Amino acid sequence: MKTKFFALAAGLMTATALATAPAKADVKIGLLGGISGPIAAMAPAMIDAAQLAVQQVNEQGGIGANEKLVGVVGDSACNPQNGTDAATKAVNIEGVVGTVGPHCSGAVLAAAGSVTIPAGITLITPSGTSPEISNLEDKGTVFRTVPSDDYQGRALARTMKEQGYGKVAVAYLNNDYGTGLAGAFKAEYVDELGGEITQFAAHEEGKASYRSNLAELAKGGADTLVIFDYGDGTGLTILRQALENGFFEKFVGGDGMKSDAVINELGAENLASFVASSPVGEKSESLDMFNEAFKGVGGDPDAIFVSNSYDAAFLLALAVEKAGGKKEGVAAAMVEVSNGEGESILPGEWKKAKELIAAGTAIDYKGAAGDHNFDEKGDVPGTYALWEVGSDGYEVVTEMK
Amino acid sequence: MEFLGLVNYALFMAIFIGIYALLALGLNIQWGFAGLFNAGIAGFFAVGAYTSAIISTPPADGRFGGFDLHFVLGWIGAMLAAALVAWPIGKICLRFRSDYLAIASIGIAEIIRLVIKSEPVLTNGARGISNIPRPAGDIGYMESQVAYLIIVLAVLIAAYVLVERQFNAPWGRMMRAIRDNEDAAKAMGKDVEFRRLEAFIFGAALMGLGGALFAHFNRAITPEAIDPMVATFLVWIMLILGGSGNNRGAILGAAVVWIIWSVSEIATDRLPHEYAVQAKYIRLFLIGLMLQLVLRFRPEGLLPEPLRGDQRTAKTGADQN
Repeated sequence: MKTKFFALAAGLMTATALATAPAKADVKIGLLGGISGPIAAMAPAMIDAAQLAVQQVNEQGGIGANEKLVGVVGDSACNPQNGTDAATKAVNIEGVVGTVGPHCSGAVLAAAGSVTIPAGITLITPSGTSPEISNLEDKGTVFRTVPSDDYQGRALARTMKEQGYGKVAVAYLNNDYGTGLAGAFKAEYVDELGGEITQFAAHEEGKASYRSNLAELAKGGADTLVIFDYGDGTGLTILRQALENGFFEKFVGGDGMKSDAVINELGAENLASFVASSPVGEKSESLDMFNEAFKGVGGDPDAIFVSNSYDAAFLLALAVEKAGGKKEGVAAAMVEVSNGEGESILPGEWKKAKELIAAGTAIDYKGAAGDHNFDEKGDVPGTYALWEVGSDGYEVVTEMK
Repeated sequence: MEFLGLVNYALFMAIFIGIYALLALGLNIQWGFAGLFNAGIAGFFAVGAYTSAIISTPPADGRFGGFDLHFVLGWIGAMLAAALVAWPIGKICLRFRSDYLAIASIGIAEIIRLVIKSEPVLTNGARGISNIPRPAGDIGYMESQVAYLIIVLAVLIAAYVLVERQFNAPWGRMMRAIRDNEDAAKAMGKDVEFRRLEAFIFGAALMGLGGALFAHFNRAITPEAIDPMVATFLVWIMLILGGSGNNRGAILGAAVVWIIWSVSEIATDRLPHEYAVQAKYIRLFLIGLMLQLVLRFRPEGLLPEPLRGDQRTAKTGADQN
């Protein structure tokens, strides 16, 4: 039995060694996602969106001198153990020049810390929102196409202060998304702006009733409830029960709350006092182009983080092209292809970008999920607006700064 | 390039196997020696990882500590903390029979996970702790992996030698006697409760050490790492497959399971492109299938527990009497 297992393991190894000798000099990028595990429902669409970018590159002349771009899919399972394992395989076995993902913040931190930073490989995550990623000592190799939770929380606090909100209570989902947003909001609202938060409480997801949580939150006399949760999940339950029982008068949500499920379930007429912050750029030309293309390959453009995933893969391809296919230059090139200066490139315009890069002209990618002008930490500033519920879905109240 | 990549990958796997082997050794003390069904490995793993992170990271705002001490102190602290957490748990829960203990320990691991997630002052909450120093982490990629592997191997060998010694010592025989016939052991004047608590704490300390090695290798620890699938059940599979009650079996099980777990993904990647996403689930299936086959055809594991007769004839002198 023992020998059989060894034989099996050795067989797998040999198969791998044989199969990894590439027939042609393809350029590979890793697409690492939480395929199994807690975000298994979201990951396939995100991977498909990234594959769309790869497909467009290959249809429009490929990378470098007619080489093919290949997206190698790896399963990071939303945890550090599998995240580092998938990243190690992508970097060492497949020889990728950069990775899109992992998706979850914990996997990003571990994969960056133990694999991509030491190996000098560029990592760009479409959905890791933890502020800890900004603080990595990454030698400029870690990027993301989604703003840090820190940014949105602070912008929301400033906007609320301007809009004249007074005492508020904060309810947040106890995961990295909710905690990150709530922490940043609190830091800005209380410490910087001198606002008052009467209650600040985390809740676990998936309970049938949050009335006791709400009763606790209502103590202290705040008239506004700020909810950092998902509008198609626990956040909806909380909002409904708060409305039913009249615990609060006004409600404010983060981007997770700006879900159509809220309007469909509760009715627009009941949501007059509800506002939510969310990224704008939702109506940009770039997004239309992406939506069109993604529908063309059978994808759902409204799925969460798909535009970020697409942008991450397209940006990585642009950076690889600019760096001439060498992994060493990719990180520096990433900043150059999206710094707000140069000829605009929209999603899918690979041919144009390739010609401009060949001619040595500066280019600036304007992505489906935002302009993605990276700062020195590899973060993107979000462009957020505050939205209210109108007769026709969500409408912008004001831009958030 | 291609060859160096394979070496790097092998080094990475060896480090992970070393870390998992420590967890499996810890579980072997609890289940293999003393028959304690601990299904809360993830909890002790997490206590160790976070303790070492807090001890060895530089001071940080908004959470406890960051004491900036040497990593060795962090690892010792991790063992002590895991042992300290195990003590009251064992004191209360070890009165349960095996399956009830399993239920209680799953619950305890979940409590530890939720406390870690919900106490930002202690653990930085859901964001986790990052920028944990990695011993010899500032040299090149391959060099730092080699250096870390040497450290992990040194720790593993030390742990193995000590645990193996205990196994062959009178203490090990007593533990097996308690496991196999509690009443008889009691009649011989053994303090069963105290001895079981001892095994539970020793095992937990090794699990804590495994957690600390893991956190320093990744330079970060987040609550996502305390996933029961990869931190508890995978370790159980390793021990059962390798052979519970046999320390070499525990290490072999860790190696076999992790190699299959990791390498099978490369094999499934050879499937056509359209199945790239679906293919990832094959390895979950493979691990389950493997456990089924082992339980069906070789329930004692790849390297079964040495019988006492063998022990007597193989070992002469030194540790008898």
